[in-house]
Amino acid sequence: MIHFERFKLDNGLTVLFHKEASTPMAVVNLLYDVGARDESEEKTGFAHLFEHLMFGGSVNIPDFDGPLQAAGGESNAFTSNDITNYYDVLPAHNLDTALWLESDRMLSLAFTDKSLEVQRNVVIEEFKQRYLNQPYGDVWMEIRQLAYTKHPYKWATIGKEIKHIEDAKMSDVKAFFKKHYHPSNCILCVIGNFELDYVKERVDHFFGSIPKAKKSARILPLEPAQDRFKSKTIVRNVPADAFYYAFKMPERKNPGYYLADLLSDIMGREKVSKMYVDLVKKQKLVSEINAYITGSIDEGLFMITGKLNEGKSFADLDKEIWKIIAHYTVTLISKKELEQIKIKLRTARAFQDQGLLNRAMNLSFFELLGDANGINEEQEIYQSIHAEDLRIFAKQLFIKKNGVLLKVKKKKNA
Amino acid sequence: MLNRQVAPKLTPIKSIDFSVPEMVEIHAGIPLYWKNNIANETAKMELHFNAGTTIETPILASLTAGLLISGTKTKSAIQIHHALDAVGAYYDVSVSQEQAVVTLYALNSYLKQAFDIFHEALTAAIFPEKEVQEICNERQEKLKVQLQKVNVLAQRKIQQVLFEETPYSQVISQRDYATVKRTDLIEFHQKHYLKGLSKVFLVGDFSKDVMLDIKTACADFVGKAFQPENCTFSGKAHIEHQEKSDALQTAIRIGKIMFNKTHPDFISFSVMNTILGDYFGSRLMSNIREDKGYTYGIGSYMMENTHFGYFMIATEVAKEVREATIQEVKNELERLQTELVPAEELELVKSYLLGQLLKAADGPYAMLDLFSGVELHGMDISFYNKYIQKVQEITAEEIREMACKHLDWKSLSIISVG
Repeated sequence: MIHFERFKLDNGLTVLFHKEASTPMAVVNLLYDVGARDESEEKTGFAHLFEHLMFGGSVNIPDFDGPLQAAGGESNAFTSNDITNYYDVLPAHNLDTALWLESDRMLSLAFTDKSLEVQRNVVIEEFKQRYLNQPYGDVWMEIRQLAYTKHPYKWATIGKEIKHIEDAKMSDVKAFFKKHYHPSNCILCVIGNFELDYVKERVDHFFGSIPKAKKSARILPLEPAQDRFKSKTIVRNVPADAFYYAFKMPERKNPGYYLADLLSDIMGREKVSKMYVDLVKKQKLVSEINAYITGSIDEGLFMITGKLNEGKSFADLDKEIWKIIAHYTVTLISKKELEQIKIKLRTARAFQDQGLLNRAMNLSFFELLGDANGINEEQEIYQSIHAEDLRIFAKQLFIKKNGVLLKVKKKKNA
Repeated sequence: MLNRQVAPKLTPIKSIDFSVPEMVEIHAGIPLYWKNNIANETAKMELHFNAGTTIETPILASLTAGLLISGTKTKSAIQIHHALDAVGAYYDVSVSQEQAVVTLYALNSYLKQAFDIFHEALTAAIFPEKEVQEICNERQEKLKVQLQKVNVLAQRKIQQVLFEETPYSQVISQRDYATVKRTDLIEFHQKHYLKGLSKVFLVGDFSKDVMLDIKTACADFVGKAFQPENCTFSGKAHIEHQEKSDALQTAIRIGKIMFNKTHPDFISFSVMNTILGDYFGSRLMSNIREDKGYTYGIGSYMMENTHFGYFMIATEVAKEVREATIQEVKNELERLQTELVPAEELELVKSYLLGQLLKAADGPYAMLDLFSGVELHGMDISFYNKYIQKVQEITAEEIREMACKHLDWKSLSIISVG
């Protein structure tokens, strides 16, 4: 059980506080309710580029990292298709430094041309390093485009193309800040050995005077129901043929999300899953195979991915994949297997909750979904799932016309 | 009224509480360390074996480690994995140059059972031919992917250059998979696992009896205390660029053989290294990423083995700025060798390092890792008190001296691929 307190400032900032008496450190986590799904299709990669700019100095403080490091702390951030999350970890007695820095960059940024120009280059190098200069590095760009036709999940957080980042203008950056970076679009979470009154007083001291702005409504294009199975083949300079089956799955707040998550754990279990035993061990069709979910807030993807062994064909694989899928829609998972998965989940969760930063990020994320207390309810939901629930869910999930398949074919003489 | 331009007052860190785990001897020279005051139900067990890549060949070390729970006369690999799953345990094995470390994660009430399952699997492992073929196939496929990456190619190359003609220079190649024999793995397992346990780290809130049971069972694997061969390295600097025409970026590695914690200069050198490239505000990051935008990231690191350490600068940059990047690295080294670090920067780095040490000592898991870092070198936890004192006292002159003494540009090997 993770105890927490929640309070709201007059300007709309939601604050969560979790007391942890055993640590000399403090965590300050800020989740901004903005991600790549909030970008326009002509200007993609912006939420992420913006995350970089948030470290380029704010209106009253020329450098973000320096003062935090001088306080013995460290900071980083990540952007997803749904959110942008910033965090600071520092000695608890220097909590003020993190609140001071974070409140100033929520108030306003420095917006220097130099910072924009440099971060554009840095992000372009990141684009190359992570997406273009790696075998299979660009597959997620392809899968998104294949699986989504209208919803902004059709592009990756890094952006659709390098050109969008090259073209980013200062006026775009300022408009983006104005729209998304203000108290009512943020959830602040503080963890450390503090008293609630102290946290209230310090947070109000630094964040209280930031002007209120209206949270803008999010109206995203709905993804139309798919009417047929879609498949695409790309040829790349890769060492082995690879496949990526993707099925549309329920959004984060739908109970079906938990069923999808558990089902993917069962189907993708290392070394023992039916897929692994049948396709890797018995038939020697693939060298590796996995199942997992994308975990997004809006309608996500249930993935089955892997690599073909030399000389094996996509057609043979396809037959076997559908056989396995059919198995889960017909046969109940044994009680024993379900119990194994559930206890593994309990272990994994206990280890996750060990980390202060993890707790801060999870509390903030559940608050975004509607209630931070969701963090304490999630395990119960998983533990209450029955084998029959999973079978019925699999039947709904694995409808062929809900699926897409990306095949990455190895270039000849590569 | 809040004046946002004024930074809040900082409180410096004066001292940190370090705690030592309880120790029992499994056998003479083979310790089990136990940290038991855990506030939650997590537990972990690390078994260190003298089975790293340098003890024989990397292919034997790597495949044997991958096949530790691949089946016994009475149980298949799948049955063993199911048994571990039934107690909710996670199993992991990692192989470094000097050690193979098996880690079990579980809830504290199940850790002993997880260990029993592992114990039986390891003791009676038969390395079925089928399992050997499967892992070879899987690893070969993974290696093919790895060998397309410029950072991997550069890393392998500099390892070969720095550790030339010693076991530390060996890397796995595709050929190794064709020639490796099952009987060699069995022999490796006999020698380096069944008689290769060198120490155990245990974290978890269970009774002393449980810990003692675990200790007794560990005695089945004891061998010699860990003592890798003391190699001498040529120290010759080597510069090489490998062209990879389809690459979009160039990976650069700049490094040399260095010392480890046992050397009197270690702490001073680490402070200098932090300023150079080991934190987000470092000079390499400030110049090459934040000013020039050549890269997504650049860093410099100190790596440690039992008898030596090495120093490495690593980055991936746009292809057209390879020369310019190397030149900027050289400039930054020269700046450290000729100019004194400004007081403000030095103070910042001192506070940063002490804050990071406070974090590294936070909680039983972190504390045990810190302890492990000194135990490896036969040192005790008082090293960290010396570290705090040295970091507080170090002067700009000493920083400059460290850069001059240990980072002569001509002594560095430079490898680039891309």
